[in-house]
Amino acid sequence: MNRTLFLGLILVSFALGCSQVNMGSIGQMAQETFSAARPLSDEEEYYVGRAVAARILSTYPLLENRRLTEYVNFVGKTVALHSDRPVTYGGYHFAILNSNEINAFSCPGGTIFITKGMIHAVRNEDELAAVLTHEVAHINHRDGVSAIQKARLTQVATLIGSQAAQRYTPAQLSQLVGVFEGSVDDVFKTIVVNGYGRSQEYHADESALSFLWRAGYNPSALKDFLERLLSQGQSSGGGIMKTHPATADRIERIKREMPSVNVDAFAFQIRARRFQEALR
Amino acid sequence: MKTRLLSIISLLIAVSSVSLGAETATVITKENAIRESCRFFSPVRATVHYGDALEIVSQEGDWFRVDFRGVQGCIHKSAIEKKSFSLSNLVGSNKQSTSGQEVALAGKGFNPQVESAYRSQNPQLNFREVNALENYRVPESKLREFIKIGGLNLP
Repeated sequence: MNRTLFLGLILVSFALGCSQVNMGSIGQMAQETFSAARPLSDEEEYYVGRAVAARILSTYPLLENRRLTEYVNFVGKTVALHSDRPVTYGGYHFAILNSNEINAFSCPGGTIFITKGMIHAVRNEDELAAVLTHEVAHINHRDGVSAIQKARLTQVATLIGSQAAQRYTPAQLSQLVGVFEGSVDDVFKTIVVNGYGRSQEYHADESALSFLWRAGYNPSALKDFLERLLSQGQSSGGGIMKTHPATADRIERIKREMPSVNVDAFAFQIRARRFQEALR
Repeated sequence: MKTRLLSIISLLIAVSSVSLGAETATVITKENAIRESCRFFSPVRATVHYGDALEIVSQEGDWFRVDFRGVQGCIHKSAIEKKSFSLSNLVGSNKQSTSGQEVALAGKGFNPQVESAYRSQNPQLNFREVNALENYRVPESKLREFIKIGGLNLP
């Protein structure tokens, strides 16, 4: 009797042990699938983002306006904290480009640029938040690094595959710098020249609505801003419209995804006032 | 016979419990905070840096309660990579979890050495201003006040 009990216990113990192994394997498979879609580490994404930012700043000068920069950082960091990826390797940073072009760029890892032209094109804090949240969504989705050609990433994997040391030989370094340069080019061309794919833009709009709602901003601000651009005839031509899909399509999709919210009119006015003060 | 069976049971239970316990995590951001409560803006108990090892105590939503050199507190899930000690590691599987790969990639690939060489080859690029904007910090207390005054939600 006792022997049967002991054998039973052994079997139960084994079953438990095996089930943990199996569950672990399933989790591991899921993680590996996710990993395949995210070939760069957060740290590497950060270094690509820094180089992309440096290229943008070699094209557009920064606006030297401490008060407005602080304000844009307050709005941007608020929505970033409500996003799905509130923490990145180097954190979120927001800066204003001294350009009349209506545009905004998100560099991989968390640096976001908005032009002076864009700040003047939005009407209130909620619209500014909507534009910044759309860029935060691109960072959440790692859209920047997804522009890097797969062959380059394979090359990096091959180069570092058997490398135990963290310092490279001159030959390895030279090859890696070449791949790095190509990767930065891929991202720069996508975010500044060609724009992301339609599906990435629609996905960023969709996430932006959710993040705005979580933060307490009015998600309709994204639709209001795009509708105004469309009605003012600024929906075609340069700047953000050159790199984004047709505004009318975006508006239609945004309307379909719009969460229902009760807007606190009093709080909205407070935000609209401080937006005007920051612009002065 | 009875003693041998008991020994086998003890061994199996011990091995099973190893796969459940001993969960550690590695910080994957340049710098981060261990906070008193599991929410942003909660007082900071300790500052951690990239590569620091944390002992996971429990999970609370998107946060992990951790122990860092005797200091207990919370850190957001996106700031760490979990590193589970599982049976598959014990039996010699050479497959790694995402966290394992992330940790293995630390300092490899595109790193400060690569950026430095890239900068020397491209002196026209404006890394000086990139550093300046990265060093620009908004005080947490002011950000919290901004959120509250604007009738927004604290994260």
